[in-house]
Amino acid sequence: MYSRKTTVINRTGLHARPASQFIDAAKKFTSRIHIRNLSLEEEDNLANAKSIISVLTLAMVQGSEIEIIAEGDDEKEAVDSLIALVDSGFGE
Amino acid sequence: MIYQGNGVSKGIAIGEIYLYEAFIPHVEEAYYDGGEPQCHLERYDRLCAAADKELKEICERLTASDPEKADIFTAHRDILFDEDITEELRDGILYDHMTPEWAIETIFSKYMRRLQKAKDQMIRERAADVNDVKNRLLRIACGLTEQNISSLEKPVIIAAHDLLPSDTATMDRKNVLGILTEVGGETSHSAIIAKSYGIPAILGIAGLMEKVKKGERVILDAVDGKLITYPDAAQETEYLAKKESYAVYQNQVKEYLDKEPLTADGERISIGLNIGSVSPQELEGARYTDFAGLFRSEFLYMESDHLPTEEEQMVQYKKALLEYAPRPVVLRTLDIGGDKTLSYLTLPKEENPFLGKRALRLCFDQPQVFRTQLRAALRASVYGNLWIMLPMVGSLEDIHKAIFEEVKEELDRENIPYAPQVKLGIMIEIPAVAMIADLVAKEIDFASIGTNDLCQYLTATDRMNPAVTEYYQSYHPSMFRLIGYAARQFEQAGKPLSVCGELGGDPLAAPVLVGLGIRKLSMNIGSVPIVKRALSRLTLPQMEAIAQQVQNISAGETAAYLKESFAD
Repeated sequence: MYSRKTTVINRTGLHARPASQFIDAAKKFTSRIHIRNLSLEEEDNLANAKSIISVLTLAMVQGSEIEIIAEGDDEKEAVDSLIALVDSGFGE
Repeated sequence: MIYQGNGVSKGIAIGEIYLYEAFIPHVEEAYYDGGEPQCHLERYDRLCAAADKELKEICERLTASDPEKADIFTAHRDILFDEDITEELRDGILYDHMTPEWAIETIFSKYMRRLQKAKDQMIRERAADVNDVKNRLLRIACGLTEQNISSLEKPVIIAAHDLLPSDTATMDRKNVLGILTEVGGETSHSAIIAKSYGIPAILGIAGLMEKVKKGERVILDAVDGKLITYPDAAQETEYLAKKESYAVYQNQVKEYLDKEPLTADGERISIGLNIGSVSPQELEGARYTDFAGLFRSEFLYMESDHLPTEEEQMVQYKKALLEYAPRPVVLRTLDIGGDKTLSYLTLPKEENPFLGKRALRLCFDQPQVFRTQLRAALRASVYGNLWIMLPMVGSLEDIHKAIFEEVKEELDRENIPYAPQVKLGIMIEIPAVAMIADLVAKEIDFASIGTNDLCQYLTATDRMNPAVTEYYQSYHPSMFRLIGYAARQFEQAGKPLSVCGELGGDPLAAPVLVGLGIRKLSMNIGSVPIVKRALSRLTLPQMEAIAQQVQNISAGETAAYLKESFAD
């Protein structure tokens, strides 16, 4: 298992187009990938990073602290590239 | 045949009927007891493939013409193949032996509920998309073909029982000549959409769906609220001409939107905008108006599931102030009670809520609510030109009791900045305060007349009670006398007085108000061009003469007289 944390910097947060982009990127890897919204107060703050609906439910907005966790053959590559995508601000 | 309805969005359309019957799924709890689970799973896969094919086709059709709408359907494809939903569905079918229909119904609904619980409105709205995908699958399962107004083959007049937000959001606007529905009134969703797109619409035609057939040619006259089926050649000719002259009239009106509001003899009248939110669409009207004459703050409270915090309010007020700066924004403090209630604030039941503890009276009762709003407003004041207006003021005591100065001192102590020139004013809507306009004008910076409530209280007519509509006479001579009196008192005191109720946006009444001495009128964006046009057609002395006249004749006579005076 491999995981890393970062902060959402783009204005839209993980909604709409950035959310779709994120899911599409996650689907390229074979590892199981999860995303956690550390800024969410509720206990249920973990979602399948390949499910658009579950990711939306986590309500990740600008400033949310998140963690991406992966397990599988390409876990390191998956986490690093997804973190890079979030840090890029989705081109906003 | 001629059928009558409510012409909520004016205009005339002639064309073919498109019967739109939205698919309403009825799925009962069901489990299969025969057959291999694999067969049922394959059936589900076939449903998905069929749904995906439909979505792909819609996307391809829309990509060129309307890429934003195409994105919505791309998102639907993502939902259709969502990993979590799909996994649960397959488990339900394979292990719990749910029929594919029942699995679709339960699992999609579960995810809808999860989305609806989100705090963020943008996420809550996605529940409608999940619902659309679910209905698409269930419709295909019933073997029905798609009924779709998102991509129409040719221009049509849509006939429906009702149109839902999910229908109109994706509606193929350029091919919709007109809208007819069985239900809905002036403020229904269909009406708002039709008006904002400028599509002629008649709502509330009882039994519509049995009265018209698919492909039938009809005339839709939303100016007079008439639907004409089986029109003959003479009617067609008549309405083609009417349609053309109405288009000419509409263009004329449109031209007035960004014109300077002047009377025929060059007197400059100030036109304000009434806003109920700070959405970009609403604030767009700032370009055509001199000030925001009525910023109803209720929307903040009514759209929220909790009392909006100081911070939440401040952000919204700031938006309106920035948009208008340096022009004034008149923020009306919370006007709740009467016909407006809040889910999270239980208020005691009253026999006569309109005569009860509403608006300012309620704020006196809930000082914390009032204080939070005033603090938020004052904090936002540094971003523009803020005028704060108190609703339902009935006496001088009401003005003295408003804790405006107290809140300012509180902010001073906390070293929180606010603009020093914030004005404090009142709504004139209770006759008792209108009649002491001279005393009131000395104590406040400005006032605005709310003609809807003023008329209700002056004529003792509950404006929500349809049984007494005829007694609600906004052209009552006492209305004009009282407004004229208040206008004179405020003029003498050198303080601004505006009208922000329905009368101000009424093209027949607006010139009368100017004739009575009012120089500031605030209204909804739809009325702005019509009123500017009405004012441009008369000179000030003509308006004054008309204003004299209507103070001495009955309301019925006034209506006829005004229509005649302003005939095009």
